[in-house]
Amino acid sequence: MNVLIIEDDRALARELGLYLHNERYHCDFARTGREASEKLFVNEYDFVLLDLSLPDQDGLQLLAEIRQEHNQQASILILSARGTVDDRIKGLDLGADDYLPKPYSLLELVSRMQAITRRKHGVKQDVLEFGPFALNVSDRTLRHGETEVVITKKEFDLLHYLLLHRHKVLTRLQLSEHIWGNMISDSDERDSNFIDVHVKNLRRKLATHAAGDWIETVRGVGYRIHTTPEA
Amino acid sequence: MKLRQKLVLLSTLSKGLMAAVLLLGLPWLVQTLTLNHTDQALRKELRRVQVRITTTGMAEFLPGAMGNGHVHYDLLQDEYIELRPITEAATGRDTVRDTVATLPRQQYGVLVDFRVLRHQLRHNGRTYMLEIGKSIASIKDMYSLLRTLAGYALLFVMLSTLLLELGVIGYLLRPVDQIVARLRAVRGPGPPLPPLRTSTSDFQYLDDTIQQMLHTIRTVFEQEREFIANASHELLTPISILQNRFENMLQAGNLPEEAELQLVSSQKILQRLTATLRTLLLISRVENEQYARTEPVAMAELLDEALEELEDRLLDRGLTVHRHLAAAPVVPKGNRSLLFTLLYNLLSNAAKYNEPGGSISIRGEVHANSRYELRIHNTGPPIPAEQLPHVFQRFRRIHTGSTEGHGLGLALVSTIADFHGLSLQIQSGEEGTVVSLQWQQGLVA
Repeated sequence: MNVLIIEDDRALARELGLYLHNERYHCDFARTGREASEKLFVNEYDFVLLDLSLPDQDGLQLLAEIRQEHNQQASILILSARGTVDDRIKGLDLGADDYLPKPYSLLELVSRMQAITRRKHGVKQDVLEFGPFALNVSDRTLRHGETEVVITKKEFDLLHYLLLHRHKVLTRLQLSEHIWGNMISDSDERDSNFIDVHVKNLRRKLATHAAGDWIETVRGVGYRIHTTPEA
Repeated sequence: MKLRQKLVLLSTLSKGLMAAVLLLGLPWLVQTLTLNHTDQALRKELRRVQVRITTTGMAEFLPGAMGNGHVHYDLLQDEYIELRPITEAATGRDTVRDTVATLPRQQYGVLVDFRVLRHQLRHNGRTYMLEIGKSIASIKDMYSLLRTLAGYALLFVMLSTLLLELGVIGYLLRPVDQIVARLRAVRGPGPPLPPLRTSTSDFQYLDDTIQQMLHTIRTVFEQEREFIANASHELLTPISILQNRFENMLQAGNLPEEAELQLVSSQKILQRLTATLRTLLLISRVENEQYARTEPVAMAELLDEALEELEDRLLDRGLTVHRHLAAAPVVPKGNRSLLFTLLYNLLSNAAKYNEPGGSISIRGEVHANSRYELRIHNTGPPIPAEQLPHVFQRFRRIHTGSTEGHGLGLALVSTIADFHGLSLQIQSGEEGTVVSLQWQQGLVA
């Protein structure tokens, strides 16, 4: 998949490109609105990652141009540090597919891109299975065979995210970023430590239905889900 | 009391006072005036008599003609002329000035009071005393007529000037009302106002000053808005770079375990920095009026959402939630996401500073004037009295438990409450801590 990263900060663009490269995306870069317009005119992209603060042009204006002038089918994700209230609404109104305020976790970005792809191609992944368990995304339930395993909303989100990236180690920060997003509060539950509490509870609930460690703690860095039980 | 009311009161009082003084002084004034008038009439009569004496002699005025010594020339005997000779000795002096006095004289054979002008004159070597009189009773008629007239005139003048003044006061003070209304409406930067229509220079000056101040406020808001935008960009971009770099390094998975743990720890610090910065920026944006507050917001729904978000925290600490809301709490003009943040932070605090196994009770009731009060009570240990007044200030942490945030949560709550015109209060004691929110349910005038 081809991605155009429109970002004027080189270091940030580099990190973004590195991560997406490892995720098998092909990245192209533009540092100004002008450069972006040129590339969009010539190439076809699946994704455009758009920073709103560009040196020569307002990102929202560029967004409107991409949607109107170019024959581009690209999905557009806004990545902005500006974070004014209107930006998000305006951006989505102008045809952006999603909006992520900086700083964001790269895993979250890739998750959003994957979700957009699934949506675009009408792929419905309603049920995610692991071992004897089935996570139903549409009615937000977890089942073990016919029995429903009662889990909380946050536990569901956590499990869902682990399953979407089932071969990866997800760090506490990535998990908390996903679960609490941009919730602004003066509270330690945004703190990645609170992820441990959720994981502990999830493990307990899973273990009552099927023995084994379904969620592995990896080197104190993060967690990884197992689709077969580990002894 | 408003200026207009004071001026109306002053005007009415001064009119009343003036009317009272005039009414008290009126009898004396009218009396004096009528007497003066009568005296002048008598003197005029005297001159006519003198003219007549010089042309036709004094025979017709002398006693004998009418028999009683008085010459009345009106039917009612209200006026008379008398001329009688007197001896030099009786006068005592050569020339005697005219005198006017109130003296008893005969009328229909009865003594009544007359206003009498006495004049001495010499004619053919003899001295005569000429008296011209007018009965006091006839003067009194005129006196009462005058008094009635004066009374009506006074009433008319008082009422008409009072009405005129009230009208003029109303007209002159209209700019003040407009200025006050404008000042009341100022909650942030708005579009420039049209100049006030008044010819009173003081009000023009006042209006100019206010316009200038509003302009300054606008400029300051603009500058702050710009600063916030720049700060967001300049601070959040480097944080983004670091966060993404740490993520990439961890993802590579080729670092020694020790280094990975260091990175995780750095990530946490960075996360704290991000949270603080985001909260500060949000506070600034709210203070800078960058949020719309236009929609009616149902607070019960937001409470549900916030409680759902906090579900795990409540379970983890074994907290029970009691909820009792009278009617449906609605903030008539609000911003949903900001009000959610407010309730979320209050409830999150109620959970965080609670004791394990404690409870949170949420009560809503409607007071007089359709004011709604929402009270969130937690059974946590009391906040020290000396800290209580400062809990809504930035970077003030409540030192009760082991858990601590960045100290901005309640400052954010307070900013959002101010933005919506909600009154926010906190009480704390042995039985726990209560945060109360109050607002006008109905449409705010």
